[in-house]
Amino acid sequence: MALKKGQPTPPSHSPGERQDARNLETLLQTLLDEDPSKRRWAARDLAEHPAATGALVSRLRRETDATVLQVIVTALGCLANDEAIRGLIDCLYSENAMLRNTAIEVLKELPDPVAPHMGELLHDADPDVRIFAVNVLESLRHPQVEAWLVEVILKDEHINVCATAVDLLGEVGGPQSRDALAALKQRFPEEPYIQFAADLALKRIGVE
Amino acid sequence: MKRILVIDDAATVRLYHREILEQAGFAVTEAVNGLEALEKLETGPPFDLYLVDINMPKLDGYGFLRALRKKDIPQAPAIMISTESSPSDRADALMAGANLYIIKPIKPDQLLPLVRGLLGEERQP
Repeated sequence: MALKKGQPTPPSHSPGERQDARNLETLLQTLLDEDPSKRRWAARDLAEHPAATGALVSRLRRETDATVLQVIVTALGCLANDEAIRGLIDCLYSENAMLRNTAIEVLKELPDPVAPHMGELLHDADPDVRIFAVNVLESLRHPQVEAWLVEVILKDEHINVCATAVDLLGEVGGPQSRDALAALKQRFPEEPYIQFAADLALKRIGVE
Repeated sequence: MKRILVIDDAATVRLYHREILEQAGFAVTEAVNGLEALEKLETGPPFDLYLVDINMPKLDGYGFLRALRKKDIPQAPAIMISTESSPSDRADALMAGANLYIIKPIKPDQLLPLVRGLLGEERQP
């Protein structure tokens, strides 16, 4: 049916639909827009552009809007190339707890790209980063997880890194972790939490 | 019996704190993150104290405390407990609404006096 004169013109786009061109160059410019909602849309669409990884990582370091940060982290997780993974790992050093936790949740889903970095992360000088690395292992479906955790509880000297690892080992460990758990108890004989957590892990893996 | 909500994403940590607190005569409820903790506030009687981890998925300890302190419910003391020990973490915890900030792992003979003190249950020497 032809439109009658005076009728409102149908919108050329539905509410929420993006009106601007969505090519890489435009998206990179929009990522710097003053409007957080435009930056958020740009970040979302840049998840399909590997060439935008550097710009997303760079924006991650300066972004102040929490929702845009979340979308950038998610976009980097979709890209999952080495530059993106390094950008996500940088978030583990952030003072922003929300950013750290979001990055951890994204990294957990990327076993193959994350695996090459795990050895370095588990030996980071900052014990908090080592704890976050163990947090990443929680859902990282990778055959090395138990071996990484065993190495942590055998060698890491920081009690909270070991405490975080032993929690997880109780869930994913097998009988081959028994000796390491026993050794951990001997390393921290005066720490009730380590004794408690190691005993619980031994019980869970059925070797007590 | 005083009711304590233990909020931590690590099951072992929750169980450890539960055993310490229940052996001392407190009733313990658990939540796995800040979001679940907020839901617990809506579905039962008020809590007398919160033991809150910082780093948790979905809603961290800071976010939980900020939301808690805005709620129109009887406010109770909160202990934020974390592996982190930088001065800014401590300041952030107190700014978010924590009454105390303590570092994991904590021993029973360290935790219980703090809990009793915040609940006004200090035992006479």
